[in-house]
Amino acid sequence: MQDWMIVTGITVAYLVAVLLIGLMARNQESSTLEGYVAGGRSIGLFILFFIMGAEIFSAFAFLGGPGWAYGQGAPALYLMAYLGLGLLPWWVLGPKAARLGRKHGYLTQADLISDRFSSKGLSAIIALVSVGAFIPYLTLQITGAGYLFEAATNGNVPFWLGALAAFVIVTVYVYASGLRGIGWTNVVQGIIMVVVAWVLGIAVANRFYGGVGPMFREIQAEAPQYLTMPGAEGMGWAAFSSIILVSAIGFTMWPHLFMKSYGADSEKTIKKTIVLYPLYGYLLIPILIIGFAGILVFQDDPLSNPDNVLPELVVSVADFSPWFIGIMLSGALAAAMSTGSNLAHTASTVLVRDLFVAVFRQDMPESRVVLLTKVFVVVISVFAYVLALFNPASLVGLLLGAYGAVVQFFPLIVAVFFWKRATKAGAFAGLISGSLVMLYFSFLAPPPFEIHAGICGLVVNTVVLVGVSLATKPMPSEHVSKFVEGSKASLQDIDEGASARSDASTA
Amino acid sequence: MDRGKKVAIGMGVYFLVCTLAMIWPGAVVANRVEPLVFGLPFFFFWYVLWVFMVFVGCLILYRLEHGGKE
Repeated sequence: MQDWMIVTGITVAYLVAVLLIGLMARNQESSTLEGYVAGGRSIGLFILFFIMGAEIFSAFAFLGGPGWAYGQGAPALYLMAYLGLGLLPWWVLGPKAARLGRKHGYLTQADLISDRFSSKGLSAIIALVSVGAFIPYLTLQITGAGYLFEAATNGNVPFWLGALAAFVIVTVYVYASGLRGIGWTNVVQGIIMVVVAWVLGIAVANRFYGGVGPMFREIQAEAPQYLTMPGAEGMGWAAFSSIILVSAIGFTMWPHLFMKSYGADSEKTIKKTIVLYPLYGYLLIPILIIGFAGILVFQDDPLSNPDNVLPELVVSVADFSPWFIGIMLSGALAAAMSTGSNLAHTASTVLVRDLFVAVFRQDMPESRVVLLTKVFVVVISVFAYVLALFNPASLVGLLLGAYGAVVQFFPLIVAVFFWKRATKAGAFAGLISGSLVMLYFSFLAPPPFEIHAGICGLVVNTVVLVGVSLATKPMPSEHVSKFVEGSKASLQDIDEGASARSDASTA
Repeated sequence: MDRGKKVAIGMGVYFLVCTLAMIWPGAVVANRVEPLVFGLPFFFFWYVLWVFMVFVGCLILYRLEHGGKE
């Protein structure tokens, strides 16, 4: 049997296993929208941890991460910094979001914001900005899956087919079982990713250099510019610091994080997840080591696309056994698919609920909303797949662009929980001006001092939100207190209050 | 000042220090290769260290908020 057949066989077996787990997790709750979207609000710590973990470890970690270490060197450490810091704001914001979500029955992030600012139009704009952020992120996963398949099988499984296989499976199990299906498959995928990353990192350093220490000694002797800032391509401190900030702040603004917090069973669960979270950053240690390993291996014949460094190194140069490559491919695909399934699920929920239902058809029966959400899971996946076929852009560019968009929600969220004086006009003006500034500095002009376009937008967004809010009439204080004071009552009190009410009604 | 406020301010400052250590200006002082720690260049190790510090901070904060009662 040829090597590429063994590789493909292992991977196909893995994909089938993932599909079965996803389908087995299907339960009664998935037939209501609340069950489908928020997992019936009873997801435990174990599952929640892996759902969130599998979310960040995407195709980017296995391709773009090592790509940066190989192409630029030290600036790739930005990834570790933002993963370490990213969930910290959630310590304050997460429980507040969960409390208000439980109390008022929110399902999406835009539900919360548009309720606070009494505006359905805001919900539509948030939906558009979110989907604008989700599409490149999902495209990134599909591109990654397709490339991994192609490289690991020496081109015997072409890009279009590999990408298609991975995403048909993702769509099927998101479609069939909602969030709980994602949870159980992510538990399996999360474990595989961790094991594969470490085994691969150590194995690559040993094969080419005889260990991690000797590897960095050799790089220090031959190409020391890679090991410290500003790296091989001269990234300044302003650019480096601002991409860490935009990613760390944007991290807690992803709509799916809000949706999952509404599904958390207690505030302690949310906080326990945050405690464990920085440790996920350590998964990047072996990943970055692989990227650094490529620096001297490809010194004489540099790769045209740095994002390919991991598969090139592992498949073409290192000549590991096909069994090992098959498992590696499964681990990397796990990363791409678990993130992809979350993204497809959230993007369709946001599009249907926050744009279509909120603005056009508020009277739509729930069963129709569930159906429509499922239809859009397919539509969005197909759209991203087509984009991946025609537009394989740089993976880092796609990721940072997505973060630049979601970070614009930050001032609104902070205002919802803390600033009663914020008004509807302020929210509109801030979000729109911030997004436009971000787009301007992303596509039309280089941003000042190389500061990331998302941060430029964030500054303008905040200033405009505050300025316009102060210039317009305050919103009714009873209404805004519902959010600022209301988010202070603990989740436990809210549940006890609810059960007391239902006891009274049955008695 | 009540205990909750003290905890909030204390931990806020702690995490601010962690953040500044990983961006400009904190990271500038660690911008060198020597000494290698666990085989990693010092700048690489610096991030491993501060991610650990964030983890420890979260653990302490969790104990302060929920300690004693399970």
